[in-house]
Amino acid sequence: MELLNAYKKLALQNEDRELRAAELVIANKELAFQNEEKEKRAVELVVVNRELAFQHAEKAKLAEELVIANNELILQNNEKEKRAAQLVIANTELVFQNNEKEKRAHELIIANKELVLLNVEKEKRAAELVAINENLAAKNIEKEKMTIELAAANDGLAARTSELIAVNAELESFSYSVSHDMRIPLRAIQGYSRMLKEDYESKLTPEANRLIDNIISYTKKMGQLIDELLAFSRLGRKELVPENVPMQDIVKNICTEMTTEHSCPRIEFKINELLPAEGDTVALNQTWINLISNAVKYSRLKDKPFIEIGSMEQGNDTLYYIKDNGAGFDMRYADKLFGVFQRLHNEDQFEGTGVGLAIVHRIISKHGGRVWGEGKVDEGATFYFTLPRKSDL
Amino acid sequence: MNTEIEILLVEDNASDAEMTIRALKANNLANRLLHLKNGADALDFIFAQELYSSRKIENVPNLILLDLKMPKVNGIQVLQKIKSDERTKKIPVVMLTSSKEDPDIKKCYALGVNGYVVKPVEFDAFYKAIADLGLFWMIVNEPPQ
Repeated sequence: MELLNAYKKLALQNEDRELRAAELVIANKELAFQNEEKEKRAVELVVVNRELAFQHAEKAKLAEELVIANNELILQNNEKEKRAAQLVIANTELVFQNNEKEKRAHELIIANKELVLLNVEKEKRAAELVAINENLAAKNIEKEKMTIELAAANDGLAARTSELIAVNAELESFSYSVSHDMRIPLRAIQGYSRMLKEDYESKLTPEANRLIDNIISYTKKMGQLIDELLAFSRLGRKELVPENVPMQDIVKNICTEMTTEHSCPRIEFKINELLPAEGDTVALNQTWINLISNAVKYSRLKDKPFIEIGSMEQGNDTLYYIKDNGAGFDMRYADKLFGVFQRLHNEDQFEGTGVGLAIVHRIISKHGGRVWGEGKVDEGATFYFTLPRKSDL
Repeated sequence: MNTEIEILLVEDNASDAEMTIRALKANNLANRLLHLKNGADALDFIFAQELYSSRKIENVPNLILLDLKMPKVNGIQVLQKIKSDERTKKIPVVMLTSSKEDPDIKKCYALGVNGYVVKPVEFDAFYKAIADLGLFWMIVNEPPQ
C-alpha cells in the first residue's frame, strides 16, 4: 500500500514528482546553477577568505606594528611633551632675553648716538691735536736747532772759560812778578838813595840833597802804586763772602779814625741812618774807607769841611751816598772817575794814585750794585752806590 | 870771645843784603853775621859739610834769616832740611820775602818756620822791620837751652 499508496502517491507523487521533478529539474538546474554559482562564489569566497585571512594576518601584523608604533609614539609624545615643556621654559627665557636684548639694543642705540656725538668731538679734538702736533713738531725743530746752536755756544764758552782761566793764571803770575820782581830794584833805589843821604848829606850841596829827596819821594810813590795795584788785582781774585754788614758801625769807626789819624778835627761829619747791607764785610769796609778818605782829602782845605753820609731804600736796592763840600770835579770827566790810575786832580793839589775809586767800582760791581758820582768844581761831590737787599754773591 | 856765627843771612839779592846788614849793624846786631848768597851754601854751613866741614854742627847760629826766592836751592828747601833734622830744628828761622802774594806762606808755617816777614819797599819801614826782628830774636826772645 504504502507502496501503491506510495505508488499512487508515487504516481501522484510521480506526476507531482514529475512536476516536481520538472520543477526540481528546473530547481535543480537552478540549484545546480546556484550551486555552481555558490561554488563559484565559495571559490571566490575562499579566495576572498584567503585574501581576508591574509589581510587579517597582515592587519594583525600591522596592528602589532601599530601597537609598537603607538607605544613609540606615546614615548615620543612624552618626550615631545617634556621637550615642549622645556621649550616653553626656554621660550620664556628667550622672551625675557629678547626683552633684555631689546632694552640693551635701545640702550646701545642711545649709547651709539652718544658715541657718534663723542666721535665728532673727538675728531674735532684730533684735528686740533694734529694742528698742535704740527706746531710742536715745528717748535721741536726750532728747539733742536737752538740746542745745536747752544751746544756750539757752550763749546765756545768752554773754550773761552779755559782761555780766561789761562789768562787769569797769567795775570796772577804777572801780579806776582810785579809784586816781587819790581819791588827789589825799587827797594834798592830807595835804599841806596837813603844810604847816600845818611852817609854824605853834610858833604853834598843843598841842590844835590834836593835831587836825592826827589828820588826817594818818587820811589815811595812807586811803591804805593805797586801796593795799590796789587790790592786791586787781589780784589778781583778774592771770593766775596756774603753776610749781614752793619754799615752804621763801620762808617762811624772809619770817620772816628779818619779825624784822629789825619788830625782833621775841623771836619764835620753828619752820619744819617745807614741801613745794614748784605755783602762781604771786608770789601764793604774797604769801600767806605776809600770813599770817606776821598771826601776828607778833597774837602779838608775848605773853611768848613762838611761830609754827610746816609742811605735810603730804592726798589730792591739800598742806596748809600756820601756828600762833601770839597774840591768837586768837572762832570765832563765823570766817566773817568772809576778807571784805574785815572785822576781828575794834579798830584801837587791832592795826593793819590787813582786806584781808590777803581777798587770801589770793582767791589760794588761784584756785589751786583752800581756806583756813580756827581760833582761841581769847587762846590763838592756826591758819590752814590747801590747794593741789592738780597745778595746773590 | 865767642867767634861763632850768631846770625846767618841767606840772601841772593845784593841790595837787599846790604840794607839788611846795614839795619842790623845800626843796632849792633851784625858783629857775628855771615851772609851767604844761595841755599846750597847755607845747607853746607848749617850741616857743616863741604867748605864748612871743619865747623861743629852743634854750634848753631842764634837766628837764620832766609830769603824765599833763590836760585838752585830755594828758601823753602833750606827750611825743610833745617826743620826735619833733630840737630838743627830748634834754630829760629825767619823767612824774608818781597811779596805777600806768596802762596808759600802757609807752606813755610807748615814746615815750622818761626817768622815770616814781607820786606817793605819803603826804606824806613824796611829798616825798622829788620831792626825789630833782629832785636826780638837776638835779645828779647829766650832760646832753648
